Amino acid sequence: MQRIGAGGRLTYVTVGSAALVRWMIALGGYSGEGNPPMHGDYEAQRHWMELTLHLAPAQWYYYDLPYWGLDYPPITAYVSWICGWLGSQINPDWFALEKSRGCESPSSRVFMRATVLALDLAIYIPCIVMFCRRWFAYRSLRTQELAIITLLLQPALIPIDHGHFQYNSVMLGLSLYAILCFREGKDLLGAVAFVCSMTFKQMALYYAPAVFGYLFGKCLWLGWQQGRALFIGLAVVSTVTLLSTLLPFVPPLSPFPDTLLQVVHRIFPVARGLFEDKVANFWCASDPIIHWRRRMSNDMLVRFSGLVTIASAALPMLHLLRVSWTAGGRQTRNVPSPALHLLPWAMYNSAMAFFLFSFQVHEKSILLPLLPLTLLLGDRGSEAEDGDETWEWGVLVNNVGVLTMWPLLSRDGQGMNYFLLLLLWNYVIGYNPLRISSGWFLRLLSIFPQSSYLLLALLHIIEIFSPPARYPDLWVVARVAVGCGVFGLSWLWALRKQVEVGWGLGGFQKSDKPKGTVGKEK
Amino acid sequence: MASPTSSLSRRRPSVAPVNPSTLSKSVEIVSNDARRRVPWFTSEERDVLVLSTVMKVLLFPAYHSTDFEVHRNWLAITHSLPISKWYYDTTSEWTLDYPPFFAYFEYLLSWPAYFIDPAITTLSNLNYAAWSCIAYQRSTVILTELVLGAALLRFVRTSNDPSLQRIISASLFLHPGFIIVDHIHFQYNGFMFGIFLWSIIASKNGQLLTSGILFTVLLNFKHIYMYIAPAYFVFLLRAYCFSPNGGFLLQNFVKLGASVAGIFTVSLGPFLAMSQIPQLLSRLFPFTRGLNHAYWAANAWALVTAGDRVLLLWAKIRGANTAIDTSGVESTSRGLVGDTHFAILPNVEPKHTFIITILFQLLFLVKLWRKPDYKSFVHALTLCGYCSFMFGWHVHEKAVLLILVPLSLLVAEDYAHYRTFVIVSMAGIVGLFPLLFTPAEWFIKVGYTAVWFAVTLPGLARRVPRPTPSWIGEIVHRLEGMYIYGFVILQIVVTALNALLAWKSPNDSPLSKNSLSQMEFLPLLLTSVYCAVGITWAFLCLSWLYIKS
Repeated sequence: MQRIGAGGRLTYVTVGSAALVRWMIALGGYSGEGNPPMHGDYEAQRHWMELTLHLAPAQWYYYDLPYWGLDYPPITAYVSWICGWLGSQINPDWFALEKSRGCESPSSRVFMRATVLALDLAIYIPCIVMFCRRWFAYRSLRTQELAIITLLLQPALIPIDHGHFQYNSVMLGLSLYAILCFREGKDLLGAVAFVCSMTFKQMALYYAPAVFGYLFGKCLWLGWQQGRALFIGLAVVSTVTLLSTLLPFVPPLSPFPDTLLQVVHRIFPVARGLFEDKVANFWCASDPIIHWRRRMSNDMLVRFSGLVTIASAALPMLHLLRVSWTAGGRQTRNVPSPALHLLPWAMYNSAMAFFLFSFQVHEKSILLPLLPLTLLLGDRGSEAEDGDETWEWGVLVNNVGVLTMWPLLSRDGQGMNYFLLLLLWNYVIGYNPLRISSGWFLRLLSIFPQSSYLLLALLHIIEIFSPPARYPDLWVVARVAVGCGVFGLSWLWALRKQVEVGWGLGGFQKSDKPKGTVGKEK
Repeated sequence: MASPTSSLSRRRPSVAPVNPSTLSKSVEIVSNDARRRVPWFTSEERDVLVLSTVMKVLLFPAYHSTDFEVHRNWLAITHSLPISKWYYDTTSEWTLDYPPFFAYFEYLLSWPAYFIDPAITTLSNLNYAAWSCIAYQRSTVILTELVLGAALLRFVRTSNDPSLQRIISASLFLHPGFIIVDHIHFQYNGFMFGIFLWSIIASKNGQLLTSGILFTVLLNFKHIYMYIAPAYFVFLLRAYCFSPNGGFLLQNFVKLGASVAGIFTVSLGPFLAMSQIPQLLSRLFPFTRGLNHAYWAANAWALVTAGDRVLLLWAKIRGANTAIDTSGVESTSRGLVGDTHFAILPNVEPKHTFIITILFQLLFLVKLWRKPDYKSFVHALTLCGYCSFMFGWHVHEKAVLLILVPLSLLVAEDYAHYRTFVIVSMAGIVGLFPLLFTPAEWFIKVGYTAVWFAVTLPGLARRVPRPTPSWIGEIVHRLEGMYIYGFVILQIVVTALNALLAWKSPNDSPLSKNSLSQMEFLPLLLTSVYCAVGITWAFLCLSWLYIKS
């Protein structure tokens, strides 16, 4: 009991410190600070609060589209409305229609920052703590605490949400909650949470193949009788949740189907281009060589990239389905299916596939693959055969993920915080990029991360000098290339890893079902 | 493909010392190791250094007070003017009013500043706060604070109980007082208290001459340490210049006197040569200020002033039978820098505060004379600072650090000391909160203080078992507990009041709150009176503990 008590108090200290770090980051700059007329993401979020507060829902997705028109799904709009309402209770000037554009007064900043922190504290942080307590329940309290610290101080999410200014933690927290529900066998609740996550921010779609793979796989695992019931239940619950979030956009509140179509059109903008800025994905990294946009029209590119994305994201999903199908065990609805242990891997693989191959990716989208990978990181030093390999890759991808966001963060006045957070996280989790692993295999492996760090560090130094006039984007492209290389290899590694872990599961829990050739996907 | 697992166990990473229980556990392991080989720097100590430095750098963009501009101006004065004009310059209203060593220190700092950004050291460049300036000045605070870190490390290395001393040292290095006053508000207290602690270490190790020299140096950096000079004077005189059986040691006396005189010559000599001493002194001791600072420091005068307010209210309700000083009705509730007049109670003049302070200090100095050992000396130091804080003229709330820092060294004496420490730390730190009035820093000051207490207190409490109390002791203990938890309510009320004041004002400008100007002082008044209660109570407790020891 005493140990639990101590653990509890320690958790408060950890959460308190994590909240303090977030707030200190929030003291720094944000996207588009003092940069009229368009400002940046901060102004976009503030503007949504303003427009949802003053307009009827039917107009939300139509209002002044060129000036940060609403292009996030409905729950974001509702949350904006709540925040706007709260803020205008304090000071109506912050969200006055039209007049408040570009409002950056000190107190309104504090309010905006506080909404991010409050939502983080209300959704993401409790989910992380619960996840580490339950998922690593078989590990020591110390490991659990370490996992909590690792996740809470993850250096990519903090500067994006609390520096750059976004609400990704809500979406990630809801997705995390869905996994927790799956673990408890509450699949229907989990499905609701996941649909909410997607209707908060469409990026959660990156996880959808994995989540679908798990849930449909569980239906298969349960067999015809129970599986069918679960499937119908899931279908009904998901549809009802989705529809209820869209209620204000159907009659009698809005004309049908125009508003609904407008919502969908706004959420999935295909007209924007293959990639924005310089993001470390496949298209952007290969563009200097292949010149995609010269070879294909935008329509073709959308279709082509869509095809590649679906194909690559389907791999982890199909594997999940296959493992569920062949696995045995006690087949009841209120326990997780054996494929649960594959879920973080599948989420990573599917999110990374989206990041690498899909259309219109932001550099911030790397947050999605990073979450499941960091969850896996928390289990380091486990008795699993090559836990260390996961640890090594997990840290590498996290660090490189942050490093590829340098252009974005330095533009937002978060340059110093970027270095500090990288230092803080690596120090706290006990990672030293300069340390050479012992053991020939790890030593060989560690050459790769070290050379990536070295390249990226070099790029930081080179950046001081302006690039050659012929290639003004040279440094940025080089950064993208290194990032894409690391992400791509990590994706291949994690695909293999998923198959391996699935293999292990199959070995232990195989029932009397015919033994499939589990390793075939490889 | 399988990878070797044998190397895994060795690669378990170290944890940050956030958990007091794991901290003390690992500390015990380290102390066992230490018997074999004394490490120069343990991993826990490195953790504290790295994590605190990261946090302090994260605070770079935080609010900084006018003290930031004060110090920038001093960089400019010392850099661009000859020494003969340092104490005469009035380009900025923030004239140089620290002793010469601090001016020399600013002169040293001004050179790197000049190379980083010449605009920092340009005299006419008032209120310059570019990123280069902020980053440079804030870094100098962090770097010079390493003097404090080194002193605290030295305490651990020379301690009989390193694991306990390590907790105390870490708590001091991470003290919310330093974070609030140095790293947000902006001052160099970490550096100053570093010298102070080095002087205390010297006296602990019996190097009394070194201790005296270091204190004299400190006094020439910042004259606020005059508050505790009487304790040094008596202690050095008794323990260094007299033998234990009462014989006068002339040689030691001459050595000490010559050293002190030598340091003062280095410090004041140039100004004496230029016959600028009166000007210098007038800068250092401006006696034109009022009894209370703009925001009342949580001391006896806060209670008296508040009592006067209550009496005035009472007199107004009952119909004025007593003579009311009309200037007093206006004066104290405004919180402006200026003279304080009481409406009902007799007015206090500088000489009164001076006499009361000296009388109380004498009490402890006599005790120190009779018992001139290290523990007694630290007690007397703390209490001397305490008296000055309690009864001094125009005391700054920041002066509470003069109590909190030396008291930390006594925290593990016994349970009564620990309890006193908890009360005075709580009241002292919360009393510093009004320094940071901007909404963005609210969460940092409150959150950081809460985390600090949550980490520090359990680790210390485990080392000081509570004796079985008498029934009256139990009642007092309960009351103290209520008082401590009362801080949560106080903070809620004060925050709500401040929010209300901000809410009622139509925009962000603080000037447009005419109708509420009476209310404006209320949160400050509540804070300082509530804290003053605890600080006064802890003063009585600590005095009693020292006198009876």
